[in-house]
Amino acid sequence: MFDSKLDRKSFITTAAITSAGIVTGFPAILKSRADAADEVRIGMDEEFTGTYATYAQSEARGAMMAMDAWNKRGGVMGGRKVSFIQEDNDNNPGIAVEKARELIQVRKCQAVIGAVNSAVALSTSGACNALNTLYIDTGGHADDVTGAACHYSTFRTCHSTWMETHATGYSLAKKFGKKWYMIIPDYAFGHALQAGYHDVAKKIGVEFVGEDLTPLGTTDFSPYLTKVLNTKPDLVLVLVQGDDFVNCLKQCSQYGIVGKVSIGGPQVELEAVYALPKEARVGYWGIEWYYNSPSCIGTGNTEAESFIREYRQKYHMPPSARSAFGYISMDRLLWAINKAKSTDAAKLARTLQSVKFHSIWEGEGYYRDVDHQLMWPMWLAGIRPNGTPNDPYDLFDIVDRQEANGIEQSVSEKAAVCHLNWPT
Amino acid sequence: MAQIAPEIFNGLILGAFYAVVAIGLSLIMNLTGVINMAHGSYLTLGGYLAFAMVSAGTNFWFALAVAPLLTVIVGILMERTLIRPLYRRDPVYGLLLTFGISLIAEEAFRLIFGTNGVPFSPPVHLQGAISLGFTYFPAFRLFIAGALLVIIVALAIFLNRTRFGLRLRAAVQDHEMIAALGTNTQVLYMVNFALGILVAGIAGVLAAGLLGLSPQSGNSLLMPAFVTVIIGGMGSLYGAVVGGVLIGLTISITTLYIPAASEISMYVLMAIVILVRPHGLFGEEGLFG
Amino acid sequence: MNRNRVGGIIVGVLFFLLLLFTPEIARAIHLSISVCSEVLLFTIAAMAVNLLIGYTGVLPFGNAAFWGLGAYGAGLTIKYFHVGFLEALVCGTVAAFIGALLMGPFLLRRRGIYFALLMIAFGQVFYFVAYRFTDITGGEDGMNFARPLLATRIGMKDESFYYAVLVLFVLVGAFFWYLVRSPFGRALLAIKENETRARYLGLNTDRFLFVALLISAALEGLAGAMYGMSIMFAYPLMLDWHQSGDIVLMAILGGAGTVFGPFIGALIFVVGNDLLSNIISWWQIPLGILFVVCVLGFPKGLLGTALDLMRPRKTGFAFEAQTMHGTPLTADPESNP
Repeated sequence: MFDSKLDRKSFITTAAITSAGIVTGFPAILKSRADAADEVRIGMDEEFTGTYATYAQSEARGAMMAMDAWNKRGGVMGGRKVSFIQEDNDNNPGIAVEKARELIQVRKCQAVIGAVNSAVALSTSGACNALNTLYIDTGGHADDVTGAACHYSTFRTCHSTWMETHATGYSLAKKFGKKWYMIIPDYAFGHALQAGYHDVAKKIGVEFVGEDLTPLGTTDFSPYLTKVLNTKPDLVLVLVQGDDFVNCLKQCSQYGIVGKVSIGGPQVELEAVYALPKEARVGYWGIEWYYNSPSCIGTGNTEAESFIREYRQKYHMPPSARSAFGYISMDRLLWAINKAKSTDAAKLARTLQSVKFHSIWEGEGYYRDVDHQLMWPMWLAGIRPNGTPNDPYDLFDIVDRQEANGIEQSVSEKAAVCHLNWPT
Repeated sequence: MAQIAPEIFNGLILGAFYAVVAIGLSLIMNLTGVINMAHGSYLTLGGYLAFAMVSAGTNFWFALAVAPLLTVIVGILMERTLIRPLYRRDPVYGLLLTFGISLIAEEAFRLIFGTNGVPFSPPVHLQGAISLGFTYFPAFRLFIAGALLVIIVALAIFLNRTRFGLRLRAAVQDHEMIAALGTNTQVLYMVNFALGILVAGIAGVLAAGLLGLSPQSGNSLLMPAFVTVIIGGMGSLYGAVVGGVLIGLTISITTLYIPAASEISMYVLMAIVILVRPHGLFGEEGLFG
Repeated sequence: MNRNRVGGIIVGVLFFLLLLFTPEIARAIHLSISVCSEVLLFTIAAMAVNLLIGYTGVLPFGNAAFWGLGAYGAGLTIKYFHVGFLEALVCGTVAAFIGALLMGPFLLRRRGIYFALLMIAFGQVFYFVAYRFTDITGGEDGMNFARPLLATRIGMKDESFYYAVLVLFVLVGAFFWYLVRSPFGRALLAIKENETRARYLGLNTDRFLFVALLISAALEGLAGAMYGMSIMFAYPLMLDWHQSGDIVLMAILGGAGTVFGPFIGALIFVVGNDLLSNIISWWQIPLGILFVVCVLGFPKGLLGTALDLMRPRKTGFAFEAQTMHGTPLTADPESNP
């Protein structure tokens, strides 16, 4: 096969040329990544590949809109333009760390935002902290990000898991009653949700007539659903996510649970519901932000209205909660940079925390100083299976709202677990 | 009792799925030595093709009949171009190549159909539950149970009672001899592969209706299918069926009593079987070590 | 000394110098230094896998279990017992070693496809354990931990960490080099060629395989522990069979029968991944294509093919030269030219 001299020579020549090409071309590619100029660079470390790609894209779009708005107004720190560098972490916490380092050390980003997946949020938070760079977790919900694994340099925009369970818990009890059945996925997120709802139960006197832990990738919820039918609760809490969520709701329809027992849960996302089959579009779920509800965006909220209008024009679909996370994170980050006239992480953090502000929802919010969690309201919505006549995306019917202060752990509780470790 | 019976039935259905996928895997492995890591992708492909057809307006039954055939065409294309060079070679080649194919397939599905999965519902008259006296049971599941049973029986008849099946089994024993005896082994290999993919395609359409359809949904059936092959033993149809049923039952019953252990239960079962019968329950000595 | 020997030594020295000055080079060409550490660590993992594929002839498709066990072993001891750098490294390695001890008795009963399937399955068991014991491992959220100090005083920033990785790489590389030339290594090659014949020659093949598995697991655990400490995180995906497949690809892409082939494979994989994922979101497709092309076109890997071309065409010593670099991936006559 390889015994003619011609073959050997041509192989070596090809190898040599390729290597030469790589050696000279490679640094050229890489160098173009580091041209800093006089701009402020914000990095985004997101799950653009993989199961969360849709959410990551929404977050990125929202962030870009906020950045464009600031650049239109003249940039930050006396006219410096803001640029945005996105890197894909492939839904892998290890790669997320490498990308964060690349964003900060090679691409010279002065701050980093992003994450959909909690594991990614946790690993990125640690990596940015090690490099003394401000990080805003846009969409990773795990309590630890602003709890046991908190850092002075980490902020979180989306609601924590604790907030989700408590907001929905209070609303659902108010609306449906206090006899609940819980179907819980048997992994970290599920356990966190379970613990949260147990706390709600303690606080407002809810009775659990049944609780089932379901294994990963359960496709068959019939044993649990038969139990639900037999125990006749007011409400069945469906905590499973992703494909399991779809299967469970489909089977709720198949088993005739819909109509007999109310269905609810901690959260649901517009992008996901839009992809659900009609028979799974049931129940009442936590919503972190919604574009078409006076309870959420208020009336006469010009910032919200222009955000929604421009987003819709550009992307032909309304912004989702994920878009809101991206928008709010970038907007407040740039505000802080502008106010502090610095990109030093500690200065930025001190500027960003505690300040009350108005944004694209009705009411005010602030990043709490004890844990850097954004304190803003959360809503409960029923699903409209077919949207409204003019708008197939208008899938949520907001029915209740819970204020931030009632739904997150208290300052003293958080102070016990979260040690921000400000640099001296 | 009322609680266990539907659970057992569900376990049997799940087991039948694993068995059907395992048979497809086994057919390909036995004859050609290729461990088809892309088998799950064919399941998903069948599901997506059916979804595309139903979205375009055909009814479910048409999709159920045609989508697997289209999947087979894709499978044959793969076989002739990529897989054929690997027959009878070191199994790592087949493993890696098909692994690569599964990566490409998953990403392609994501690009074409989106990352979140698509809604695929069983036909309207199969939705809803039928009363079985002591409990309700979804009609679609009953249909699936029947369909899988038909597939298994059909395969058994094909492999054991037809001439082609005879040649297949002979080729597994000694492929050189059967070539020497005049059988066109290229055609044999191709039909064998096609059969494995056909089975996967049908299972894929059924699974899509039952379990949901997303770029990774086929792969969730792949690992249990591998364990089924190990437990049942390679080279044995009965082994795949018995193995699949055993696993399905084990998982459902463990889910009922010790939910935390349910995923690991099939591996525990596998470990026990390997210790007691290293070639699997019905495996034949000498086939692939 | 023949020409090849001298050439080999020169290449080796140049290579070492390149690695020594990598931090400076990386800075100059705007590459992150921790990616360089990552390349070396994956090289060690791929070498470990290489010991099983290229030199023993078994399919370790569940090997990521050891990589992950290394990371979790280090991480758990750091998080709950606050140990130092070296202790964490040892704990990670030992965790992987124990994993192999547990797996071994089951795996060794079979060969070929069964071995591969069994290893995949057992690898998945560890994955589920990491996923399930949420209270201890953090479950799917992963586990974060600090990067410990070396000898309780020396902080390990990314650059000093790289040098630590380099030291380990040189040690492991040297160990591997001598291992494959030792009687033990020869025995493994003999088993790969024809296990039955080896057994008739008196070798207890089960025991050799077991030791190879243990060594491979320990090396991979070592690399995994370092990687965990590099990213200061451990997560269940590290144990998953996709990760196994990636590491096996690195070994094969570079050249499964060669000692330093894995470096080429790891380099291409890690850096390619890094660059590609910024340009396209569907980079799993080129990755899959790489698998396919590699299997069909370069079964001996890039380094293996290159070495093949440069080998002197002497018939008598052909086998000698060949075994120094391990035999090609398959031992069956149908594929050898």
